[in-house]
Amino acid sequence: MASQRIFQLGLRRTAASGFTRTQTAGRIVQRRFAATQNVNQETGQEILANQRLKRPVSPHLAIYRPQITWYASSLNRITGILLSGGLYLFGIAYLAAPTLGWHLETPSMVAAVASWPVFAKISAKALVAFPFFFHSVNGLRHLTWDLGLGLKNQTVIRTGWTAVGFTVVSALYYTFLV
Amino acid sequence: MASIMRPGLLRQACHATAAPQRFMSIRASPLAQQLRPTFAPSTIPQSTRIAAFHATRRHQILPALPQKVEGTANDPTPVPDPSPVHGSYHWSFERIVSAGLVPLTVAPFAAGSLNPTTDAILCALLVVHSHIGFESCIIDYFPKHRVPLLRNIAMWALRIGTLTLGVALYSFETNDVGITEAVTRLWHA
Amino acid sequence: MATTRAFARLAARPTAVRPAVFTRSFASVTDTAARDPISKAGEAINPDPTRKVVPESKTSTTKEPAPDKDAKIKSFHIYRWNPDEPASKPKMQTYTLDLNKTGPMMLDALIRIKNEVDPTLTFRRSCREGICGSCAMNIDGVNTLACLCRIPTDTAKESRIYPLPHMYVVKDLVPDMTNFYKQYRSVKPYLQRTTPAPDGREYRQSKAERKKLDGLYECILCACCSTSCPSYWWNQEEYLGPAVLLQSYRWIADSRDEKTAERQDALNNSMSLYRCHTILNCSRTCPKGLNPALAIAEIKKSMAFT
Repeated sequence: MASQRIFQLGLRRTAASGFTRTQTAGRIVQRRFAATQNVNQETGQEILANQRLKRPVSPHLAIYRPQITWYASSLNRITGILLSGGLYLFGIAYLAAPTLGWHLETPSMVAAVASWPVFAKISAKALVAFPFFFHSVNGLRHLTWDLGLGLKNQTVIRTGWTAVGFTVVSALYYTFLV
Repeated sequence: MASIMRPGLLRQACHATAAPQRFMSIRASPLAQQLRPTFAPSTIPQSTRIAAFHATRRHQILPALPQKVEGTANDPTPVPDPSPVHGSYHWSFERIVSAGLVPLTVAPFAAGSLNPTTDAILCALLVVHSHIGFESCIIDYFPKHRVPLLRNIAMWALRIGTLTLGVALYSFETNDVGITEAVTRLWHA
Repeated sequence: MATTRAFARLAARPTAVRPAVFTRSFASVTDTAARDPISKAGEAINPDPTRKVVPESKTSTTKEPAPDKDAKIKSFHIYRWNPDEPASKPKMQTYTLDLNKTGPMMLDALIRIKNEVDPTLTFRRSCREGICGSCAMNIDGVNTLACLCRIPTDTAKESRIYPLPHMYVVKDLVPDMTNFYKQYRSVKPYLQRTTPAPDGREYRQSKAERKKLDGLYECILCACCSTSCPSYWWNQEEYLGPAVLLQSYRWIADSRDEKTAERQDALNNSMSLYRCHTILNCSRTCPKGLNPALAIAEIKKSMAFT
């Protein structure tokens, strides 16, 4: 059997050599349209570095699906900036008030606010209440996460929407009823 | 994998008028399509459309720099020196302050009592909490290697602002009615 | 015996060496004559008259199937960018596929587009079963593995496929992961230990110690979580990102590792670990169902007062 196999193999090789020979006949030759050339390691690195410089950055913020996770987080930051920014502005104004002749003492501020129309009062209250309650409630979520609790996907989603609901309810309550 | 076994079905199914072109032909590629003069008959499959993509807004804030890789692909990124003051201590401190704010904000309004000490602590924690919050915004959005000058300016502006706020709240606490009382009065005004 | 028979058959042939016309042709673009079916030429020179092929003019014709009446045509908008034209902007290209003839997963659709519509479409894929992490991309706004993401059968909704967000694009859906892998390397993802094993053979773990690694060792480093993290988008040069931090925790939590303190020190600065603001996109998007956010929270807890 072994000798037969060797013979067969030899026959196949002959066939194969014939194959390569006849391939040069013209129309069946595979054609490469991209010319290639060999470059050394340094040149290759240089080409790569140049290619890297031209690469675009894939889209991110604009295409990522709105989800309670990162929307709540960014809202947390925005509301924090609003509240703290307001506090900073008030602090600076309070220190500058004597020189500028403003009256930012509590009684005069209360009197000023009391003279506002109802619409302005309610908007001002809403402008403070919504960020404050969201930041507070979401802050509680963040504190529980830092304890390693409530990090399952379902829990995160549920507490996220609970926080939003609680924010809306309590902010509306404090805006209109207190 | 089933798709591999049925080459060509797609074109018959989706667009009967597709040009009789071999699939592997480079002529069918959209690149060639773009380079082709407009009067040449289109061989691009009808199932393919190209739309301009707005990857960048016109006024993008701090767009990413061109890519540069330090070292080879096999070198690790540099590991910064440990600095617990900016790391773990900072984090723990921030959590303690935040957790402390919770009872301090709830208690005065819930109890209705006015204690100057708790009010003062609340003010102090608010200042610290705000400072840490703004600081982390600056670290996030003004990378040091990217905009070092802007980063420094923002940091110093924040420090000055925090100091000012501290002084302002101190004088508000000492000369005025205190922050919880002021908020309560303003809210009911 | 089989070989003898094969040899006999081979020897009985008129020519052992097959003429060129019978050999397989290759894809050739400009040569129109090459498009003639090879078998047609073969029929003409068939030496055996008894086996003469009946020409197609004498047989019935089976028409190609008409476009299906109930074809479920769905549009796929795919991010394209070609490095050969670096000046051109990235584009969204639309492909339509009949879902009845496409496999159930997004990767099937992509492979089908590449095979049958546009061979220039470029993406990474390997295992097609969610273990290699090659085909990570942003599908319909969420990072996932294309091979694990079903095509939504609602044909009214068009699918949008982008590369992983805020990564440098090599081509089309292929992002450059160099920085990600370099960061992975920086956490020394291997067992570090100086003391030999007590029994001189292997480092043993209790069942409880081994259980700590569940949910950590399964990570395939597809970078879905890291590239879903806005913090990583803005600071990916310095912040390690959820995937690498999960890997770091995998070694911090390993009872056999003796460099826990060093590993923690490497993270103990304002950037590497503490740019995590518990946004939790990472756990939400992980295609393997792991929880990088929990791992990061555990690292922070373990380092809280050290």
